Amino acid sequence: MGMTITEKIMARSSGRDKVIPGELVWTDINSVMTMDFLGKQCFDKFRSLGKTEVFDKNKVICVSDHLVPPPTQKFANMLNEWREVVKQHDITNFYDLGRQGIAHQIMVEQGHVLPGTISIGTDSHANTYGAVGAVGNAIGVTDAAVAMATGKAWFRIPKAVKFNITGKWQPWVMAKDLSLHIMGMVHWNGHLLYKTLEFTGPAISSLSMAGRMTLCNMTVDLGAKNGIVAPDVVTERYLRRRTTDEWDFLNSDEDAEYDMVYDIDISDLAPTIALPGKLDDTVTVDKLIGKKFNKAFVGTCTNGRLEDIAIMAEIMKDKQVHRDVNMILVPASQTVYLEALQAGHLETLIKAGVAIDTPSCASCAGLHTGVAGDGDIVLSAGNRNMTGRMGSRLAQVYLTSPSVVAASAIRGEITDPRTFDI
Amino acid sequence: MIKGTCWVADDYVMAYDIIVSEYWTSAIDPIENSKMVMAGVKEEFNKENAFKDRGHTFIVANHNFAGGGKSIEHVITGLMGAGIQAVFATSFARLQFRNAINYGLPFITSDDNMHVGCETGDELEYHADKGIIKNITKGTEFTSVPVAPFVSEVSEAGGLMNFVREKLAKGQPIE
Repeated sequence: MGMTITEKIMARSSGRDKVIPGELVWTDINSVMTMDFLGKQCFDKFRSLGKTEVFDKNKVICVSDHLVPPPTQKFANMLNEWREVVKQHDITNFYDLGRQGIAHQIMVEQGHVLPGTISIGTDSHANTYGAVGAVGNAIGVTDAAVAMATGKAWFRIPKAVKFNITGKWQPWVMAKDLSLHIMGMVHWNGHLLYKTLEFTGPAISSLSMAGRMTLCNMTVDLGAKNGIVAPDVVTERYLRRRTTDEWDFLNSDEDAEYDMVYDIDISDLAPTIALPGKLDDTVTVDKLIGKKFNKAFVGTCTNGRLEDIAIMAEIMKDKQVHRDVNMILVPASQTVYLEALQAGHLETLIKAGVAIDTPSCASCAGLHTGVAGDGDIVLSAGNRNMTGRMGSRLAQVYLTSPSVVAASAIRGEITDPRTFDI
Repeated sequence: MIKGTCWVADDYVMAYDIIVSEYWTSAIDPIENSKMVMAGVKEEFNKENAFKDRGHTFIVANHNFAGGGKSIEHVITGLMGAGIQAVFATSFARLQFRNAINYGLPFITSDDNMHVGCETGDELEYHADKGIIKNITKGTEFTSVPVAPFVSEVSEAGGLMNFVREKLAKGQPIE
């Protein structure tokens, strides 16, 4: 019996020839990420293990993303403590305000995640790293402290579920729609819990790295352990200018065992929206046409990348955001921000009446820029819509793709970008 | 054996509601985190020490306990600080399942029918060695999924930090 790509990564990282689902192993970690609001606690715990130097100064990645730039004195003080502790441990890769971005974007974009290895982070969307063929896993500060000290983490080998994605991507339909479609299709029934989700097939081969990141990012919201796309030519092209480290084209064996295989043809996939409250409560856009909202948001580790901004600019060019809508775009990193600026997208969006904020997690976690107030109805290209997620518990969050948000923001009501006059 | 009363949760108790976002940036501390634990789950718990003052030892939940994908450990320390010594659920969200293991708080996957077979305030006995939960009030008994040896070892050490600290102090490999 062969192995899945995740099993192969777990096996090689734990010095074994083979692993089987259910087995508990300690593995080597390629990189461990922590960020501003939990990072100090990671370092405090790390020192309580009797250590003063991290296992590898180049492989502990520190990012300021949830609290920057500080909107309150409390956050300013937390950031000062965070900077002090990062400095004290002489961390090589510190992405602080000015070089910042959302941690998961930074990890992949700056080449801190390598195919065939394991990277962990103290934020739930660390699953994003699967986009380049790595095992990306979210952990708490305890695991981060242990990994900082030892370069290791424990894992139970997960069972695998394969998503074989075929067909041709239609205009304005995005990876986010596939993510939400899978949410609605599988539902939260515990079936995907603790499992590795492998995305494969022609429609994945033709998907950009940004799309793969969106898809892997949201596997945590399906309850899965990780999501992964085996490295291919897209991966190679993406990583070429980001890392000089060596890696190989690891893939699942033909006879690897899967708990379940889903075949999805995306040729007729429609833009999809998750209704407020639950991610798996999804509908296609036609069910909500005309629904009014007053806030529009694009950004986050799910949909704040250059491709997402480009598609918005294409839709919003020479148009105006509806007078009843406030729209905010928050690029996922300074690099994305600069690229979007150089490509002219930001000028297009500013002229259309979109407010652009400096890279951060923004209102996605309800902590920063643009939080929702009582009674707000938000159309968001973020990743979560539960009560209170973006601020007020009396606000409602509809989740969808950047193309739906862009077209809808112009009309002031939910709109199908496929029928929008662009 | 652990004995005490249980609080029975609804389906889909979110980590977000166990610790609401206002407290995510707090220090990880059982006493501090327990003050407002469960504040978003029920309005009645939305005041200081409201859940803790109920004095329950166990939580009985259905699917996806502590779900919603939050990795913050405040959820676990908050429950521990409130006196919770074990949580029984049909299934747990993986991030908090992992955190619970790391803190040595038993998150026990129980019979599918345990959730409907218990009411808030019922007195339970948890026999960890046999994996059995007795509902003394109702005279019923439930089984649970066996706990992996590694999980027991971590729990006996008092959590992953102690487990690793002891190994490092003795110069033993982490494997």
